[in-house]
Amino acid sequence: MANEDHDALRSQLEFHGVSRRDFLKFCGSVAAILGMSESMIPQIAAAVEKGARLKPTLWLHGGICTGCTVAIAQVDTPDIATIVLDILSLKNMTINMASGDDLERIVADTLEDAENDIGFILIYEGSIMRGQGGNALREFGEPQIDRLKKKAEAAEAIVAVGSCAVDGGFVAAKPNPADAIGMKQFLDEAGIDTPLINLPTCPVNPEWIVATVINVLILGRLPEMDSFNRPSLIFGHPIHDLCPRRGHFENAQFVYEFGSKEEELGYCLYPVGCKGPQTFTNCPIVRWNRRASWCVESGAPCIGCGITSPKAGGNWVDVNAPFLKRHRDLKIGDMRIQPSTAGVIVGAAAAAALVAHGLGMKAAGRMDGEGAPYEEMKECDRKKGGGK
Amino acid sequence: MRVEVEVDGGVVKDAWISGSLFRGLEAIIKNRAPQDAFFISQRICGVCPVSHGHASSMSAEAAMGVQIPEGARLVRNILEGAQYLHSHILWFYTLAALDYVDPVKALQANIADTYALAHAAGTRVADFGAIAKRLSAFVERGQLSIFANGWFGHPEYPADMPAELHLIGVAHYLEALEMQAEAATIIAVMGGKFPHFMSSINGGTSWVPTEEKLDDVKFRLAKVNAFVREAMIPDTLAIAPFYLDALKFGGGGGNFLSFGVFDDPSFEIDNRYMPPGFSEGASLGLDTVDIDNVKEYTEHAWYSSPSGLNPKVGETVPAFTEYNTDDKYSWGKAVRYKDLPAEVGPLARMVVAYVKGDEAVQDLIDSTLAKLGAAGKPEVLVSLLGRVAARNLETAHTATLTEQFLNDLIAAVKAGPLELFTPHDITDGEGYGMWEAPRGALAHYMTVKNRKVDRYNVVTPSTWTCAPRDAAGRRGPMEEALIGTPVADIERPLNVVRVARSFDP
Repeated sequence: MANEDHDALRSQLEFHGVSRRDFLKFCGSVAAILGMSESMIPQIAAAVEKGARLKPTLWLHGGICTGCTVAIAQVDTPDIATIVLDILSLKNMTINMASGDDLERIVADTLEDAENDIGFILIYEGSIMRGQGGNALREFGEPQIDRLKKKAEAAEAIVAVGSCAVDGGFVAAKPNPADAIGMKQFLDEAGIDTPLINLPTCPVNPEWIVATVINVLILGRLPEMDSFNRPSLIFGHPIHDLCPRRGHFENAQFVYEFGSKEEELGYCLYPVGCKGPQTFTNCPIVRWNRRASWCVESGAPCIGCGITSPKAGGNWVDVNAPFLKRHRDLKIGDMRIQPSTAGVIVGAAAAAALVAHGLGMKAAGRMDGEGAPYEEMKECDRKKGGGK
Repeated sequence: MRVEVEVDGGVVKDAWISGSLFRGLEAIIKNRAPQDAFFISQRICGVCPVSHGHASSMSAEAAMGVQIPEGARLVRNILEGAQYLHSHILWFYTLAALDYVDPVKALQANIADTYALAHAAGTRVADFGAIAKRLSAFVERGQLSIFANGWFGHPEYPADMPAELHLIGVAHYLEALEMQAEAATIIAVMGGKFPHFMSSINGGTSWVPTEEKLDDVKFRLAKVNAFVREAMIPDTLAIAPFYLDALKFGGGGGNFLSFGVFDDPSFEIDNRYMPPGFSEGASLGLDTVDIDNVKEYTEHAWYSSPSGLNPKVGETVPAFTEYNTDDKYSWGKAVRYKDLPAEVGPLARMVVAYVKGDEAVQDLIDSTLAKLGAAGKPEVLVSLLGRVAARNLETAHTATLTEQFLNDLIAAVKAGPLELFTPHDITDGEGYGMWEAPRGALAHYMTVKNRKVDRYNVVTPSTWTCAPRDAAGRRGPMEEALIGTPVADIERPLNVVRVARSFDP
């Protein structure tokens, strides 16, 4: 049935002298707006439902800054067109005020499809806001959190995009005034067992959404994941091991001051607080914004926005701040990284890396509002300009 | 954001804007290191994080008495300019274009006539034939039928706007998707990534402009600016004459506020390339800006903290009650200047620069007014069409300024050696960063005590524009602008959407 539709679409396109690629690019360009123009969504949905064998996808917003939506609009490999029309039926991504009833209808239709065994994927952006009786985020005149359970239960799989969706992100940083949590905690507390894929970093790197979606829909299975539900392919190695500046680290060639000659030469940013050794993402390889650059290449140390524990207290701000200081130990959630137990969390290779790169076993936890203990300058760092 | 309007006799009689999200960012930044605020506060907004980062670093630098070097000034200006280009292109084409351009009408276009019209309008051509074919493939598959109860084919699209112009609009709408991404890569090259960038740390910038990186920025900026000049501006001038009715509504209270943006070598706020100022009412006069004139009212917002406080002593204690337009109905405080609601954003900045006598801005506005048959009547800018046009004209102005900053940076690198960062210790004190995001006036305020942030307060553009009523019951700027908006179809209030969206909320 679906295949017939697919062929019908293709022949129609050929009849009009339009290559499938062109057509996809066009439709997808429209979809790349990702609901910012809500009037286009029904059209895309209709196109897709009449088209190939696609997976309806509902992109919902919690407490957002819209950064992850803006991020996906920057993707180009494959372009958003292919994702939307060859792979997904993107159903609902809206960030503006118009057409509230239409939006509700689309969500209702998607849920109905789910009951009819078509199934859908839920992509979730933003923190889940429990504060003020759930009124810290209101949607159609109700607490948004109250409206989430049914959708989360009905989904075939949930993809939490961006650190806020994963563990509450910066919104959940102490004192967590809006009582924000991430999707894992929400599902656990609600007793929902829908499979979850976590894609941290702030914002999400759109290339990872693409990789994940392809994994799920083309290979038809969930990607291999670590104990924090992160795809191992993306979040399996510390940035430090993939970094183009790694050679300078080995040669003890460091940047001690921002905007310096050492930075111009591309030296290692470890002394100014780089969290590359304990942050597990493939940023140095995939890069950002159509591979234009990535954080370290702009002379700034990694701030570890991909570090996560979906448990309370695991957000990247509480773990990594102060960002421009070199930390002694690493605490994720309520766990402290120790070489003997690190394997449970991050794998043996990572543990070895942590030991090798000065993340010791200091048992002191982080006190509220105190941030992490950080290293003073080492003797070997006492060079000209060091220790600023 | 939620918009509620009351319509009577085909026009909006009353309006309420409700902010729907509370995050409490100020509390999250308190007790952390001052330089951490630069990273955390960007997450207020994923569309304008560069502006928040800059205002945050400025507040920390003011608190600690740190002067950033000339090289950092130029780098920050270019980053900010690139974000303006990204934000404005995204707004006009991706968010707003389909409020004014109807893809269904574009189907009736004659392709040869479309090329002729594009040449006559001086705007970019595209493969109009291919785009029309793709559109018709949609329609033949019935994929637009769903718009029978949507927005397209709406009576508030002008009947006399030629189908060919709709097709040009659709073509550039597609091209703009590429261009917003291109603009964002400029920020990525200079700041690591976008949204949320890395390089404008307290004390200057971490980005060192090597020859290779400067070249990278230069060609990307040239590409984006060419689109602004060859498509965005001529499109604006071609479409605007069909929307002259929109000069008659959507204006609002007519008070305009700008804090100024893009520092010159003096770092004096009054010398900024886009100047600060407050223009009250229809007089189009101009006052200097004083942060002490800002107050935040909470009578109609879900906070139990005292009302009428200046941001310096501001408090944010959330206390949700219920949504009640007679009482409290928003998470946004009502920010006021001299107790008056004030519009912020591109129209406010352009009005302030115009009144202050900026020749480039005056030329842009006067020539546009002439083309709209309103020569010598700048007051018509206080309208829906004026607001849309001002944003697009500002995009062209920003394109030129950003090129100038880049040329200045290249000259400074040639002259070398270039200072980019001022080393400093964290010291106690207090300070403001007053700046302009694409959406309007922005202030970050920081107090440092015992080398930690003791107080942090942010006044965002949205709290000006999307403000609820204040203690005196006066509407916020967007609420006021909606009054008198014509509504042909209560089920599909397209003009209401146009006015609300014109503020880029």
